[in-house]
Amino acid sequence: MPESDVVAAAKERLEQSGLPSNWLDIPVHWGVKAKEQATPENGGLRFEYLNVDIYGEVPEHWDNNTEIPRGAIPDTRTEQMGYSIFSKSEVWSDLCAGLYEDAIADRWNSSADIPWESLAPIGSDLERAVCQIATLISEYAWTKAQTTGRWLQEISYGYIEVKLFLGTVVFDGARLYEVWRKRALANGGGLGRGGRNWKFLPLTQSYTFSEFCVASVMHDAMLIALLRHGEQLAQTEAERKIYELCQKDIERHLAYFVDHMRYLMLREPERREEVHRYLNKAEWYLAKDGDDTLYSALGVIMGDGREGAEEAMADVAELRREQVETYLGYLRECHLGDREDRLNEELRKWAGIMPAEEVEKIPI
Amino acid sequence: MVTADKLDELQLEPEVPELDLSWLNLDTEWGVSAEPGRKGLTLQQINKSLYGDIPATSEDNSARPRGAAPPEGAAPRMTPWVLGDATETFSESAGLLYDEAVSRQWSSATDIPWDTMDELPEDIERAMAQLCTSLTEVEFIAGDVPGKWLPRIAADHFESGLFLMSQVMDEARHTDVFRKRALANGGGLLLQGGGGGLRQILEAEDFTQMSSMLHILGEGFVQSLFRLGELIAHNEAEKRIFRLAAQDESRHVAYGVTHLKYTLENDPEKAEEVHWTLDMFENSTVDPDQVNPGLAGALVYLLGDGDVDEGWRLFWHVRRKQVLEYLHRLDVAGLGGRLESGRLHPALAGALDES
Ligand SMILES: [Fe+2]
Ligand SMILES: [Fe+2]
Repeated sequence: MPESDVVAAAKERLEQSGLPSNWLDIPVHWGVKAKEQATPENGGLRFEYLNVDIYGEVPEHWDNNTEIPRGAIPDTRTEQMGYSIFSKSEVWSDLCAGLYEDAIADRWNSSADIPWESLAPIGSDLERAVCQIATLISEYAWTKAQTTGRWLQEISYGYIEVKLFLGTVVFDGARLYEVWRKRALANGGGLGRGGRNWKFLPLTQSYTFSEFCVASVMHDAMLIALLRHGEQLAQTEAERKIYELCQKDIERHLAYFVDHMRYLMLREPERREEVHRYLNKAEWYLAKDGDDTLYSALGVIMGDGREGAEEAMADVAELRREQVETYLGYLRECHLGDREDRLNEELRKWAGIMPAEEVEKIPI
Repeated sequence: MVTADKLDELQLEPEVPELDLSWLNLDTEWGVSAEPGRKGLTLQQINKSLYGDIPATSEDNSARPRGAAPPEGAAPRMTPWVLGDATETFSESAGLLYDEAVSRQWSSATDIPWDTMDELPEDIERAMAQLCTSLTEVEFIAGDVPGKWLPRIAADHFESGLFLMSQVMDEARHTDVFRKRALANGGGLLLQGGGGGLRQILEAEDFTQMSSMLHILGEGFVQSLFRLGELIAHNEAEKRIFRLAAQDESRHVAYGVTHLKYTLENDPEKAEEVHWTLDMFENSTVDPDQVNPGLAGALVYLLGDGDVDEGWRLFWHVRRKQVLEYLHRLDVAGLGGRLESGRLHPALAGALDES
């Protein structure tokens, strides 16, 4: 029951008018004042600062299948929703709230933040190659945003920070899609050839969120290793900026996916073999898909045209090796360092790692 | 187990990818270019030639960008089904609305003057905390819904996909900003809102039905309310929250209206289905059994600044505006006549009565 006179009077007035007043009866966690931390030096009122008192208690198991905000009092008349994820270990990372705010602080606009006027004719072969890469990145971005979005309806409010962060991943995916489409259509070129998409099936088909996360680690790691070569690959200032901004976004996504997988491995070590199964699948599809157009287009860019492409393929091989190394590096951060021994045979060739059976013969 | 320091001796030359240059001779449209305009290089400016041709029906359920050449060799089906018919999801304005969304993103951390929030009387703080509890809940569902539909949007109709992706972001920010307001000034989160038709939006298995509930009626009402946020707000921070959120909601509503317009122009038979959906959803919106304490009691209390009679008067002012704007939006979409035909829910029609 309301204690203060002013609240009791409010309740009486509402009741006289036939309005709901039960919200005045509930126990209040009075005095949570997150605004006190909202200083410019603190980056304003960031989501992290809300996690005080009961509002910061993120439960191991969330047992409410409605859209009730974490920390509010349930209305037991509310229908159940279709959420399926109620376990902290399945989605959690302590970094979410911070990464969510970082994504917003780092927001950019592909219309205005790319120096499009720096685009200039770069010769037909190079333009084709840039457009081919743009086509493939757009395609991945579309899949990434779609498949990330699909998980929102599965995750309950108990893990609100995760959902907010995934919202930024979806939006970053949209921008990744359109900035590369713009690049392809802005400089006298056009779109290239789509990929075969087999490699995306581990994302679209995932049954558990962690399966989706670990497949995302693989795809994002392959992409980030490519984006880190922006300086070398960019033909104009506009592309240099695109590489730089996209890289920053994907770094944030990887920070979450990796930290979540590390959390899962620590909390549920018995799921290690299961996770390896997902990786077996993701790697197998990636290797089978091959994506020859990506590496050939990189060859044309690095070889400065089709004539130099053959020779440049050694550098492309080096870049592809880096991609696999980058992927394994992120897996080590996930506490999945044992992947090294179990890496797909094709990917071992890409990375120049001895076949697994040969390694076993080496006495260590 | 191979340790990291042993890796060096195991290092071989990486395999060199095969060079295939067939993609240098594709017959996709070539030679297109675009100049940045006043707002930079927008989607509108690259929607040229074949790349701007939006197919009325898309057979492609892969992720291939519109206008790209198909891959060589077998490609898998990516999702069980996509909405290939443009009447399902398309809106002429989706690209424009996406561009606008990107340029108008704001930060709930830094764009709200949180320091303008002084201590409020306990009854008012509680009422605001209750309203925000209900709003963060509503916004939460508003983000889940577009997420659910994303995998079903055809890549050929990517403008709608991009718009929905921007909506997911906007609703994350709304979920966040109302939670922030509830926890910023001493109130906390109070009673769950519960109901009001939120589940109907999420469970709908037809996009246009979903959109008429979410974008036109639901967000339409929310937008009309936020635009009157001055009446609810007690400080500059709250005013700014409502103003910025209303701006976002305008885009969501505009998408719904232009989508419905496109659908009805191209598939007039859909009209009755949408009417039926609105019959059902209007009923949920005003159903006394589903009354939301935040969107009823606390709202009235805030509107009257504690004076419940005055709050009621202003509530009906808000409701009247909500209904008028709703009917106007339906008119624009080509679904006019709900009031005249007596189909509008009596509780909403009654709000138009000046007395
Ligand atoms: Fe919203
Ligand atoms: Fe909205």
